[in-house]
Amino acid sequence: MKLPQGAKSELTFVGSLFALGFLVFWDTARSEIPAFNLTVSPKVFPFAIALILMGLCAILFIRILRGDVATPEGLEPGDPIEKSDYKTFAIVLASLFAYLLLIERAGFVIAALVTFFGITVAFGNKRHVRSILFGTIFIVIIYISFTKFLHVQLPAGILEGIL
Amino acid sequence: MSSFNSLLDGFASALTLSNLGFGLLGTFLGTLVGVLPGIGPALAIALLLPITYTVSPASALIMFAAIYYGAMYGGSTTSILLNTPGESGSVMTALEGNKMARNGRAGAALATAAIGSFIAGTIATAILAFTAPSIADLAIKVGAADYVALMLVAFTTVSSLLGSSQIRGFISLAVGLVLGLVGADLQSGLARLTFGNQSAVEGIETVPVIVAIFALGEALYIASRFKEVGWKILPMKGKALMTREDWKRSWMPWLRGTAIGFPLGVIPAGGSEVPTFLSYAVEKNLTKHPEEFGHGAIEGVAGPEAANNANAAGALVPLLALGLPTSATAAVILVAFQTYQIQPGPTLFLTNGALIWTLIASLFIGNTLLLVLNLPLVRVWVQLLKVPRPYLFAGITIFALLGSYALNTSTFDVQVAIAIGIVGFLFRRYGMPITPLILGLILGPNLELQFRRALQISAGDYGTLYATPLSKVLYLVLIVVILGPSLWSLRKKIANRKGHVAK
Repeated sequence: MKLPQGAKSELTFVGSLFALGFLVFWDTARSEIPAFNLTVSPKVFPFAIALILMGLCAILFIRILRGDVATPEGLEPGDPIEKSDYKTFAIVLASLFAYLLLIERAGFVIAALVTFFGITVAFGNKRHVRSILFGTIFIVIIYISFTKFLHVQLPAGILEGIL
Repeated sequence: MSSFNSLLDGFASALTLSNLGFGLLGTFLGTLVGVLPGIGPALAIALLLPITYTVSPASALIMFAAIYYGAMYGGSTTSILLNTPGESGSVMTALEGNKMARNGRAGAALATAAIGSFIAGTIATAILAFTAPSIADLAIKVGAADYVALMLVAFTTVSSLLGSSQIRGFISLAVGLVLGLVGADLQSGLARLTFGNQSAVEGIETVPVIVAIFALGEALYIASRFKEVGWKILPMKGKALMTREDWKRSWMPWLRGTAIGFPLGVIPAGGSEVPTFLSYAVEKNLTKHPEEFGHGAIEGVAGPEAANNANAAGALVPLLALGLPTSATAAVILVAFQTYQIQPGPTLFLTNGALIWTLIASLFIGNTLLLVLNLPLVRVWVQLLKVPRPYLFAGITIFALLGSYALNTSTFDVQVAIAIGIVGFLFRRYGMPITPLILGLILGPNLELQFRRALQISAGDYGTLYATPLSKVLYLVLIVVILGPSLWSLRKKIANRKGHVAK
């Protein structure tokens, strides 16, 4: 049987959502209910949602096998589906993780600047010096307006005392 | 006349200098963010949420009202000049509006969109002001079982009416419900799906999920698939003005759009997609210039734009009166209320009456400010479209990450945001609509609460769920919405088969 273009990866995706449903089911089944007298057990909803999710995924799985493949956002049905550019994807993702790792260690300004720069690179910007310059101005303005005027706490990190 | 007096009080508190300032700031920021391509009102409000973490509830809500309408104005500008609608409600505007801009009539298209939105917004807000309190009075009689039915209907309509594939909508909803489960159960304290993580016990915050699924998901998706595709801004010649002829052709569509948009906002009809589409179809049928449709007919901009704004105001009725959001944007506003520990619902007018009237008054004010500000400033907004895409996406990402972290100053929320960003990417790649997920996350815990409440009152008798007349009607609607599309396609199939035989 020849599958339509893009079907294989979509089957993997739907399969992993099925696995998510199974995870919910398993986690609910193994947990112990505290000794309360409840009309509706706290397990009813998780079980129902898990079963619904698994059921729907199973139906969609069969439908995909019969040719009902998804149309990626921004494309028309029937357009050829290109492979995603995973190198760019990885750069964006790495930039997001950089923020996560740096925000409390190096402070908001540095974390945000690294992320900002990473994303401009991912989107194909070649003027790196300019991007750092713009990024720095943008982020410092955000930092000052949020911490000084809006009193939203953002970590200063290693720039403590300078900003 | 008590509504009217309360409204006057609302105006009095909305028109203080500082609140007016917040309103102005909101219109400015809302338009600014709304103009940026790919950002609809829901994301605009979610991105700007951190600004309001520290201001007073009244000022924050005034700002939201302004951002709400501002983002919609901004969105229509992008649809017309760039042909990249930021949300489903502007798809129809882009259809004719972009053609008008290509014919050098961008000014007229922008003007009819802005004035139409103003008129629709003002009429719809007036209806909201005078109907919401009585609806809230009725809503007090709505019991827990009815709420369960109402939420199920909202879930179903939003999941099956959005996007092209019903089943994908329902899967998206189910994933949202799973996210809503995470954390300690409210009644029993049972930790669900936390896997030993202490931060997860408090549950998944909605703000990081919303900003991440829109902003981070979009950044990942565009970067990896449409990096090379640029956008072409159509030049705007002349001023944003309409000729006499344009006015003559616009005013009826504005009113018809309002009439279509408002009621469809009040009932859970799945957001702004259906009313704008209906308005477009109506105008296409009624126009005296059918040859212009598809080539830039002004009615095709005036009607849907009015419908979109009236729909947005209509969506506030179930939100304020029942605490039931019917679109992604309404869901975000609900989250905004909740950050102030305010729970919209029937008792809202009693407990926070002054606040609600201030909100309604500021909707009027925001709408007026927008009309006054936007038409003359349209050129300034257009300049914003010239920001290079790398900077644009970098800026949006920074805002999204900032909002996620600043909510609780916790890195757990950032982890959630990154994970949900990947989910957002996958959903876009595999054609799953996003709104059902958000609704599931926000309303799921609420559904469980009402479900339990209903069964506690009835002492475990499941019959209580469909005992009232309202719930019976709602379940009937539910069946029609679920089975309708399949029956429809079955009928078509049979008709096709007959056609084949006849040949």
